[in-house]
Amino acid sequence: MLRYVIRRIIYLIPLFFGILIIVFVASRIAGNPVQLMTVQNPHITAEARQRLTEYYGLDKPLYHQFFIYLAELFQGDLGNSYALRGGIAVTTLIGDYAWLTFELQLAALFLSLLIAIPVGIISAKKQYSKLDVTVTTTSLLGTCIPVFYMGIIAIIIFAYFLGWFPAGGAHSILPERYPFGSYVLDELWHMALPTAVLTFATLAPVVLLVRSSMLEVLRQDYILAARASGLSERSVIYKHALRNALIPVVTYVGLYFGAMLAGAPVTETVFNWPGVGRLFVEATTKLDFPVIMGITVFITIMTLIANLITDIAYGYIDPRIRFE
Amino acid sequence: MLMAPKEILKIENLTTHFYTWAGVVKAVDGVSLEVKEGETLGLVGESGSGKSVTALSILRIVPRPGRIIDGKIIYKGENLLEKTESEMEKIRGKEIAYIFQDPATSLNPVFSVADQLIEVIRRHQNVTKEEALEKAIELFRLVEIADPEIKIWSYPHQLSGGMKQRMAIARALSCQPSLLLADEPTTNLDVTIQAQILELMKNLKKKLGMSMILITHDMGVVAGVADRISVMYAGRICESAGTKTIFYNPLHPYTRALLEAVPNIAMKREKLKIIPGAIPNLVSPPSGCRFHPRCDFAGPACVSAVPPLVEIEPEHYVACVRAKEFSGKLPSRS
Amino acid sequence: MKKEKSTKLELQYQNEKSRPKGVSQWNIAWRRFKKNKAALVGALIIGFVMFLAAFDSLIAPYPPNATPGFYVGEARVPPSLKYLFGTDKLGHDVFSQVVYGARSALYVGFGAAAIAMSLAVLVGLVSGYYGGLVDNVLMRITEIFLVIPFLLILLVFLKVITAVAPASIGGLSIVTLMIGVFSWASNARIIRGEVLRVKESEFIEASKALGASKRRIIFRHIFPNVLHIIIVLTTLMIATAILVEAAVSFLGFGDPAAITWGHQLQLANEAVKEAWWEGVFPGLFITLLVLGFNLLGNGLRDALDPRLRE
Repeated sequence: MLRYVIRRIIYLIPLFFGILIIVFVASRIAGNPVQLMTVQNPHITAEARQRLTEYYGLDKPLYHQFFIYLAELFQGDLGNSYALRGGIAVTTLIGDYAWLTFELQLAALFLSLLIAIPVGIISAKKQYSKLDVTVTTTSLLGTCIPVFYMGIIAIIIFAYFLGWFPAGGAHSILPERYPFGSYVLDELWHMALPTAVLTFATLAPVVLLVRSSMLEVLRQDYILAARASGLSERSVIYKHALRNALIPVVTYVGLYFGAMLAGAPVTETVFNWPGVGRLFVEATTKLDFPVIMGITVFITIMTLIANLITDIAYGYIDPRIRFE
Repeated sequence: MLMAPKEILKIENLTTHFYTWAGVVKAVDGVSLEVKEGETLGLVGESGSGKSVTALSILRIVPRPGRIIDGKIIYKGENLLEKTESEMEKIRGKEIAYIFQDPATSLNPVFSVADQLIEVIRRHQNVTKEEALEKAIELFRLVEIADPEIKIWSYPHQLSGGMKQRMAIARALSCQPSLLLADEPTTNLDVTIQAQILELMKNLKKKLGMSMILITHDMGVVAGVADRISVMYAGRICESAGTKTIFYNPLHPYTRALLEAVPNIAMKREKLKIIPGAIPNLVSPPSGCRFHPRCDFAGPACVSAVPPLVEIEPEHYVACVRAKEFSGKLPSRS
Repeated sequence: MKKEKSTKLELQYQNEKSRPKGVSQWNIAWRRFKKNKAALVGALIIGFVMFLAAFDSLIAPYPPNATPGFYVGEARVPPSLKYLFGTDKLGHDVFSQVVYGARSALYVGFGAAAIAMSLAVLVGLVSGYYGGLVDNVLMRITEIFLVIPFLLILLVFLKVITAVAPASIGGLSIVTLMIGVFSWASNARIIRGEVLRVKESEFIEASKALGASKRRIIFRHIFPNVLHIIIVLTTLMIATAILVEAAVSFLGFGDPAAITWGHQLQLANEAVKEAWWEGVFPGLFITLLVLGFNLLGNGLRDALDPRLRE
């Protein structure tokens, strides 16, 4: 098992560098960032531009800049912001925002798995029943509604018409408005709506995946064989079938989590949620390349870690992988 | 004449249909057969003739969209079709066990063989985990697996085809069933392994005093193992008799055609015969005798009415309107 | 004489089976597809949106003008007979904008899907057929594109391009191109898997034995046998591309000159409290069109997948 994990880690390293190169090229494809940032500023002189370029080390050849970036990355340094909070260190900046993003995305991921797996199983077990038709129709619809649209509708209904939840943000502005005076409860209260929307959006494809995977497994001979051995329906479904049905689901969870993190700009913009996603939108609007690079690298690392955890879970579930 | 042994299983008019969206597939349509105590019945027919569905119906584990819609399955004097699901769970694996065609797919890939055996043993017998493990190792010796203490912890993907089938047999035998349903247990194995497995099953059957239904499309396989043979075609039984009778005095044209399709050392220059056409579409099967479109001897009577399974000679049942005419008149095979 | 009779019977039997032997796969698929109500609904939805796109200037009650857009004089009027979906804060008729948005959505959907699927098919076929080192390298690249935070890169690219050329040159085409270039990876993997499956089949072995060239095997034998998968994936890809474009426009990184549903939602998001109608209707149309392509894709999969066929 340990050897398997190490092999997976080694395997992820070139992936990381590949992505790093693409991100780096993406941020430099239009040339000198200083030029870009100042293009609409009529007051700046060529001399000032030159000074800024040298200050940020942008006068060196591109590959040289890349190696400097790499070297700093390995020391845990992502550089300083061009435009935000007076050139604050990008790591500090991400540290300030990341937790809120994680809180929201992880809560949604866990909730959606918690709901999707049993719902998918029951739906598959009762294929073509009314329940199954309802579940599959709702899920299919769930995959078609854009998250931000779902968010807007939820805000209109639950925040404005019903007034149950705040429309956005992570905290009330005034501490007097905290429910029961508790900061934590206030945050949970603010989290409820975005978490619910994100959970539903993530839930839908997982339900469909669990269902189809379960249907596939239930057709297998070993399920018939388990039934033929007189095992209880519970053992057949929840032990023999489920373990096999989860294999494709597990392989997708890592990718889903990556997609959720990458989609953070959208969800966080709708709910005005102060996480790295909204920070990213702000940085991109201001062409703040160190922050853009930093957040992308950060989300990439998180995605790769999620994939690694997925791989380990996969190896745990499927002995064919473990003993390969 | 000695008293004939009592039958352990008697199926009457079993009808199992599949409700697909292409139509109702009449996979098993009025099958009757019986297995006597200690006997091996060979259930023979082309693929798609409904042999497996018959066997799955006995355990009531026909997969969706299949449903048993009529008939009786009398096992030890009780109709299995009237039992509740939880009563059936106690019969499956304990009283009646099943061996599947493909050992590669009939063992769960994510659990070790020990896990799978222990679960079945503990399901039907009141023993601890350790005792169940010992029993499992014992079973491995029974099916002649070397190093059972080590091999038992393997996962299915680590084993060869023949080994997997031995394990599947061990699982089927784990609770000493009275009746074993073996569904083409050797078809997916190498020829040399096939002979070993058949030999093993024959010995085990004798040792444990079981009855067995051996399902196969291969006349060569049943010849050496079965006491009696029922030939199935397109969801119906067309002929049932002792093995010798079937081989030396087959009365149904389909049985004859099947036998002529088996290669034989005695045949010198004769060409192997094939049965023209294919098994019919069971959504709208041919009227009357389902074999008539492929039969060399079919007449108008064969098209209009379903021939009943009649006892032509003692212990020799044939479902063919012209069976009496053929009796003795057809040139015998050898 | 006996023989004669039996052949006659055989013929009669053949006639009973109404299905002639020469029915092609596509014919069978079409029959199955026609029976699938959900898929037909999907096709109907797509047809409806295409109709809107084709005759947008005839259907929309208020024509688009460069400035001030769809200005109709009254801002934030709730839905009424005069303004079917109400008006937004700039006084645009929301219904007219929704109608004009149909063309953008279809343009991005079809365009991005065409680009993404061309890349996916190319990578999938080459990787699956050649195997070995080629396969290895291509699959590593595919994995990079699978794991990469695609939306982030997309936003950066779009922002940089508009910063370089503020008088954006065909902004919607750039959005389409970018979505296409970044969304081929998962489809390439699926197609590769199918190619591997087909490659193992005996008829490929046979044509190899007959000395067919590699290119001939790929295009004459393998490609037709994975075509059904490609059709299904393309349909689903269109749906995905429409969703991605909507998200990009919603964040304000889309083509500011184009009329898109996502852009309408961006403006609506500023004032959901005051004017719910601004966002509800364009969002409904995104959902509807995406649903249409997903239903169609699922229906096509059921109709074309030979493994589901009896």
